[in-house]
Amino acid sequence: MEFLQNNLLTILILLPVAGAVLTLAHQMFWKQEGQLKWLTLGFTTLTFVVSLLLFGSNTAGASGYSFEQNVPWIRAINTNYHVGVDGLSFWLVILTTFIMPIAVLSTWHAVEKKQTAFYVFLLLLESAMLGVFVSLDLLVFYLFFEASLIPMFFLIGVWGGENRIYAAVKFFIFTALGSLLMLVAIISLFYIYADQTGLGGTFDLVAILDAMRSGNLSITPQAGTLLFLAFALAFSIKVPLFPFHTWLPDAHTEAPTAGSVILAAVLLKMGTYGLMRFNFSLFPEQSREFAWLFITLAIIGIIYGALVAMVQPDVKRLVAYSSVAHMGFVILGMFSFTEMGMQGAVYQMLNHGISTGALFLLVGFIYERRHTRQITDFGGLANVMPIYATIFVITTMSSIGLPFLNGFVGEFMIMLGMFQSQALAVTSAVNWNYIAAMLAGTGVIFAAVYLLWMVQRVFFGKVTNEKNRALADLSWREIGIMVPLLVLMVYMGVYPKPFLKRMDEPVRALQQRVMHPAGGTIAEADHR
Amino acid sequence: MTENNLLSLIIFAPLAGAVVNWLIGGRLKNEMFSGLVACGTIAISTVVAFMIAFGIGTGHEGALVAEKPVLDHIWTWIQVGGFRADFGLGMDRLSGIYACFITFVGLLIHIFATGYMHGDKGFYRFFAYLNLFMFSMLTLVLADNFLLMFVGWEGVGLCSYLLIGYYLKKDEARKAAKKAFVMNRIGDWGVLIGVFLIFTITGSISFYDKAVDGAQVQSVFTWIQANIASPEPFGWAAVFAGGMTSAALLLFIGATGKSAQIPLFTWLPDAMAGPTPVSALIHAATMVTAGVYMVVRCNSIYQNAPTAMFVVAVIGCATAIFAATIGLAQNDIKKVLAYSTVSQLGYMFLACGVGAFIAAIFHVMTHAFFKALLFLGSGSVIHGMHHEQDMRRMGNLRKYMPVTFITMGLGWLAICGIPIWAGFFSKDEILYRTFAAAGLPEGWNYVLWGVGLLTAVLTAVYMTRLMVMTFFGEERFGEGDADHGAGHGDDAHGAAHADGDGDGDDDDEHHALPHGFKPHESPWVMTMPLVILAILSTVGGLVGVPYALSSLVGKGDINVFEHTLEPVIAKVGAGAHAEKAPSAGHDEPKADQHGSVPATAAAEKGAGHAAESEPAAHHSPEEIATERLLAGLSVLLALSGIGIGVAIFGRDPLKKLPKILEDKWRIDELYNGSIVDPITEISRERLWKGFDLGFIDGMVNGIGAFVMQFGNAIRGLQVGFVRSYAALILVGALAVLGYFIYFGFKLLS
Repeated sequence: MEFLQNNLLTILILLPVAGAVLTLAHQMFWKQEGQLKWLTLGFTTLTFVVSLLLFGSNTAGASGYSFEQNVPWIRAINTNYHVGVDGLSFWLVILTTFIMPIAVLSTWHAVEKKQTAFYVFLLLLESAMLGVFVSLDLLVFYLFFEASLIPMFFLIGVWGGENRIYAAVKFFIFTALGSLLMLVAIISLFYIYADQTGLGGTFDLVAILDAMRSGNLSITPQAGTLLFLAFALAFSIKVPLFPFHTWLPDAHTEAPTAGSVILAAVLLKMGTYGLMRFNFSLFPEQSREFAWLFITLAIIGIIYGALVAMVQPDVKRLVAYSSVAHMGFVILGMFSFTEMGMQGAVYQMLNHGISTGALFLLVGFIYERRHTRQITDFGGLANVMPIYATIFVITTMSSIGLPFLNGFVGEFMIMLGMFQSQALAVTSAVNWNYIAAMLAGTGVIFAAVYLLWMVQRVFFGKVTNEKNRALADLSWREIGIMVPLLVLMVYMGVYPKPFLKRMDEPVRALQQRVMHPAGGTIAEADHR
Repeated sequence: MTENNLLSLIIFAPLAGAVVNWLIGGRLKNEMFSGLVACGTIAISTVVAFMIAFGIGTGHEGALVAEKPVLDHIWTWIQVGGFRADFGLGMDRLSGIYACFITFVGLLIHIFATGYMHGDKGFYRFFAYLNLFMFSMLTLVLADNFLLMFVGWEGVGLCSYLLIGYYLKKDEARKAAKKAFVMNRIGDWGVLIGVFLIFTITGSISFYDKAVDGAQVQSVFTWIQANIASPEPFGWAAVFAGGMTSAALLLFIGATGKSAQIPLFTWLPDAMAGPTPVSALIHAATMVTAGVYMVVRCNSIYQNAPTAMFVVAVIGCATAIFAATIGLAQNDIKKVLAYSTVSQLGYMFLACGVGAFIAAIFHVMTHAFFKALLFLGSGSVIHGMHHEQDMRRMGNLRKYMPVTFITMGLGWLAICGIPIWAGFFSKDEILYRTFAAAGLPEGWNYVLWGVGLLTAVLTAVYMTRLMVMTFFGEERFGEGDADHGAGHGDDAHGAAHADGDGDGDDDDEHHALPHGFKPHESPWVMTMPLVILAILSTVGGLVGVPYALSSLVGKGDINVFEHTLEPVIAKVGAGAHAEKAPSAGHDEPKADQHGSVPATAAAEKGAGHAAESEPAAHHSPEEIATERLLAGLSVLLALSGIGIGVAIFGRDPLKKLPKILEDKWRIDELYNGSIVDPITEISRERLWKGFDLGFIDGMVNGIGAFVMQFGNAIRGLQVGFVRSYAALILVGALAVLGYFIYFGFKLLS
């Protein structure tokens, strides 16, 4: 048990890898692909169960991270395998391990070709994603960040829809392009550190931040701006922030259900997480300086995503564009630099993962039955599939942000945070923070428009297409997948306290670091 | 502070009912079971609400007479930094009145619905939604803070959505449902931003001063009383100043959505596509008055914002007359009542706008009685007519449905404003207060009063038309479709299907009434609520008889309603405004006795003016004379309205009215043409196809060049010492990228 506790994060990262190896071995020796899904399900579930041990995370070390491990990896370039979890990454790790078994179950019957490879990629993807959220070494983080690309590239490109190759390549080019610049920035940091401290370079985030706080390391504004932008570009593409969003609808639409779910629930969060973890803490001045830009783009994204979602003929593409709008809210909350807004942003990351993940699952269910996602092919489904319709409507309401469902809490906190934000200049004539919150608020109206319009056309009315008349309602497996998500939607909407409590401290520290970088950074950011 | 945990039972009993009906009722499919669960849980709410409101067996003073509200903190919902939103309930005098009439009228409508929905396949689903609605509505009025109120606010919107769209297969039902939800959402945006602003200004969102988890929470209104010395100046500047006026107007945007005022009123008439009990409960008696509740709840904000008050009064008044003109020309019995509701809601806002908050609530309550009665009566008619809603195919129904006829007749007298029926007192109070209002720009009080009076005439005319077409004249239900379908066919046709399609796929068949068809009276579960509501519509107004009228018959001040609500209305004390503040008229000499602490504090601040003006403002002989005169005038006008109605429609019930009125001034067409269609068009052609697919993706196709340029730019800009490394790594990484793409393609093909 102690071994487990001491190496928990490493074990979490390695468990899916072990599953992948076993999957390959199984395929080599028994050649029975039918059992692979059970194997994968077993490993992802096991990972989830083990990850629950994180809840006992009162073991925070001196640096503020729990379950910290720091061992030298490549001495030549002074890079360490340094992992740890804090309130910022905690829920994202849990979200990842939680969503994986669901993703596996969602494609229970849908994957027919190359099953071995499919499950191996799924498991490797989980490892990479977990690695991203727990890495405290910039180089290790970068490796995991890039590593997550490859499995997803193949998941889309091999098991995707008709236009899969275009979508996969687009996905890859967009995201790889951004992260290359980030790599440049990471290496620059290494040399700047070496140059200024005389201690030799490091990739260790904690070490760099310590040096910054103690004054040993101070990046010139010019360099800081460039580095900030390099990091920010990588993460913005991942989020995706308008106008870097066009890879997302294609990737989502073409990806198999499991891929879409993981993409929406976890992969996009790597962008917003990265911005908070690295941009805010490493470049607080620049974060504040560029807040107006991100807030503007976020608001454009919210409204733009909603308007474009409204006119989509394809359900899945509609949900993908709604993702653009929802992630805009997350960015907005983060860059409000208020406790309220930033906590709301982290909360909304989880909410989006659950609600949009659930929507993609639901779209997947109907696609498996009808092999079409065109809204016009449906109509009146509520008469044929009442359980499906009910679950769909509840999920929609969660995504619309109806109070007492999860989406509302996040959006409310974000908008209130923005409303009170001091990140934007206040001139005598105009309170830009008010305007920003008011504009973002219109996104909530539009969300109701496009989602309800879709629901209305797909579910209500008479059954217009004869092919839909004999559709089977959800199976027990499908209901079983949805129930935990529905429970979470309600729970997180009604009692957010346990969630918010865990992220409270690191978010406040971050907020202080950005808004009061000169005075009190050390004392107030002392959660670490 | 009084705590009473029973308070939560009022809201959770209906919630439990909804869950039970959804989970168990759906399997049993037993009407008796579902009906009992639904009505039983509402009965529990009703009993508890009355117990707490009147202090029966609760061991503390009733909420309607106590100085302090009865509170119940259930759990802390959201708490971040200085912000806290509790799931906490509170019943003071205002929410007490609301809770009582909502539960009581709600109970009657539930009982009525068990008869009306008899035989519908979705019986359990209907009652689950209806109970869920009661949960939301009661949460709305009992919430002890803005955010929880907003939960109820959105919740009633959702239930309204579900219930309007209850007849899933009906095309216009689902369209109406979506329209209602979206229009409400537009309003909700205002509420949300308003709450942000209020929190930013006052640092609180609580309605009551309270102690939670050992911390003292100051209410929004206490803060306002203590910190805002005088009302904001009148004018445009105040609207955008981010103060009380801005907050009041933002909240009012929400009220226009929920309470169907201009410009967001068009959803309410369409909402009649839902089952009739829903129209009675949600779209007449309770939900649509939520906007009035919010405005009255926030009266201390509004009183500090004269500009907002003016806007509220003008919008209310304009809506009142506008909707009345449309109601004049509708042929669907429910549409007439729907426009009538919009019009009456306009009266309530007019009252709020002129500072007669108590009169507004009074009208909310009497309206709940008589409009619920009229809607249920129309439901009974529709039921008896086998789901015919077109009044052109009714006539002489008094012969077949005597109970319905008599009860609806009483409701008709009430809405027309004939003394002693309930509507008379409340409507008259509003008109008088408008006439006497002093807070408005010069002369506007007479304009608003005149329009209000004209609306009263129109109300009498269209209601008389409704009664004549339905209950008098020739029997037209044997006739064919001769005049049916020309131009106005859409609404009537669709609505006529309202209840037909619960049980199968036969919903397309038009149920032309068979030859020799005879309407029938409804069963007792439907007529009993009608009778009770008729009694309330007749005598319910007596709780609020103004002194000017009660003194006529030798009684003293018996205006119980006003005295109950007085402490809820803040006294905006200091400043010049106090002298002519419309609310001053409500202030009793003994006001400071039951005024809450903050109110007293503020009263002291403005003691100079308040003390002089208040007692004088009440019951002065000239005023009493004016009030009596105006009352007489409006009775005369109401009678003449009825006379006009009888004269015109008694002779020719099917008289053609101007097309523009029948087409509802073409507002829907205007909205669609100028807002909805352009947005859709731009989104599709410019944003999606133009920008996303054309511009961005076009750029991506030239991505190679883009990368090179960007790389060069970065390289040139770098500070110096990393230049060569970065360039090398970029090249290396590009090689890796190419490698992946190359092998990726191999694997794919």
